[in-house]
Amino acid sequence: MSAMEIANSPIMWGACGLAVAVVLAQALIFAKNAYKAGEKVGLTKNQMNKAMKSSAITSIGPSVVILSGMLSLLITVGGPIAWMRLSMIGSVMFEALAAGIGTNVVGVTLGTDVLTEEALGMALWTMILCSIGWVIFATFSANRMDKIQNKISGGDTKKLIKISTGAVIGVFCAMGGQHLTKVYDFKAGAFNLNPNAVACLAGAVVMFIMVNISKKFPAIKEWNLTISILVAMMIAACI
Amino acid sequence: MENKNFFNDEFMPKMNKIGKITGALGVLVAFVPALVLAVVFGILPKPAALLTAFIAGSTSFGVLWFVEPISYFSVLGPIGTYMAFLSGNISNMRVPCASMAQVSADVEPGSEKGTIIATLGMAVSIVINVSVLTVGIILGSSILSMLPETVTGALNYLLPALFGALLMQFGMSAKGHAALILVWAILINIALQLGLFGWLPGANNYLGILTSVFLSVAVAILTYKRANEA
Repeated sequence: MSAMEIANSPIMWGACGLAVAVVLAQALIFAKNAYKAGEKVGLTKNQMNKAMKSSAITSIGPSVVILSGMLSLLITVGGPIAWMRLSMIGSVMFEALAAGIGTNVVGVTLGTDVLTEEALGMALWTMILCSIGWVIFATFSANRMDKIQNKISGGDTKKLIKISTGAVIGVFCAMGGQHLTKVYDFKAGAFNLNPNAVACLAGAVVMFIMVNISKKFPAIKEWNLTISILVAMMIAACI
Repeated sequence: MENKNFFNDEFMPKMNKIGKITGALGVLVAFVPALVLAVVFGILPKPAALLTAFIAGSTSFGVLWFVEPISYFSVLGPIGTYMAFLSGNISNMRVPCASMAQVSADVEPGSEKGTIIATLGMAVSIVINVSVLTVGIILGSSILSMLPETVTGALNYLLPALFGALLMQFGMSAKGHAALILVWAILINIALQLGLFGWLPGANNYLGILTSVFLSVAVAILTYKRANEA
């Protein structure tokens, strides 16, 4: 059995499926409880269903990006591991890097050299060990951080809302700013039409237009984001 | 008052318990494929080699294990933190989905309603994420070759476009605030590009998000205080 045959063996599918099942189970348990609690805190079924539909629409684009990341990982570490690793903990950016670090130590370059058994073991263990810290810290600090945040807000619900809203703006400014900065090439010392920066700027501009249009036609509001992304992608791809 | 008691004294403790149990279970099952490799196939990396890889990996990502949960906490809340860090793909999927769900339900982040809606939004995004990946893994790499090259090329621009659109969507409701933070984020990224933080390992991965979120929260608190004093 070659290393790749081992990586794609039925028992590996089973082992990886178990991990994916836990992720799904957690999401479903939380969703069921949240849906039940929703009406008690004054949400209507209509509001909750609309929210879920909107999240579903928003999910599609990023899912496809993650899918294409999984397909490149699939060639290097086999199906089950790629499938599990992108369903659990990691991110598109992280997994390929971690796998590469693991195999490099035993002298195998992922995607170029033939996967050896040793490299397969290294890739898998490195991906797990280097990502498990996220879950451990997040899981066991979540309610402590909640207590700290409640202390800062002093039990003032309005203040808590301001804090969270501020944090949301902070996240998207950081993500957007990172791409927008790419219009300047620091190595060449000149401005350039970096497609990521163009896509980011175009996404913002189209969204501005869509928000104003949807004030007149509220029916299209939930498609604002999808339309903005598609138009911005086309603009970036054309330059 | 009844609502308050239900949410803080009944709902949240139960969710914290579920989060801890499922999170711990997630940590255990993450190792199952590696154990199968060891027990069934006798493939176990040499400890010295694995330690080298772990050190290399944790110098790049180790800070993120702590910085990311802290940075995203005010956005995700406790339930969101359990879900997002077990399922991964946080900035590129969980946060956008939770935020868009809150927009369409017209609820505020950080409120009780906002917490419930974010939980539902994130759960939906996890189910869709796993479904798309499962269909993808069954069909295999053949589906990528079905797509024309222009489409796969354009996929690279999806996330920057998403972040630009979200920046506008959420910035428009607090223009001055968002403009200030965006300027900060750009300055930090310029500093990172110039290598001013070269002495801080892995700073590229987290300094922008960490400082932008904290500055933005600080500005939000100050504005709130000032509005209340006036």
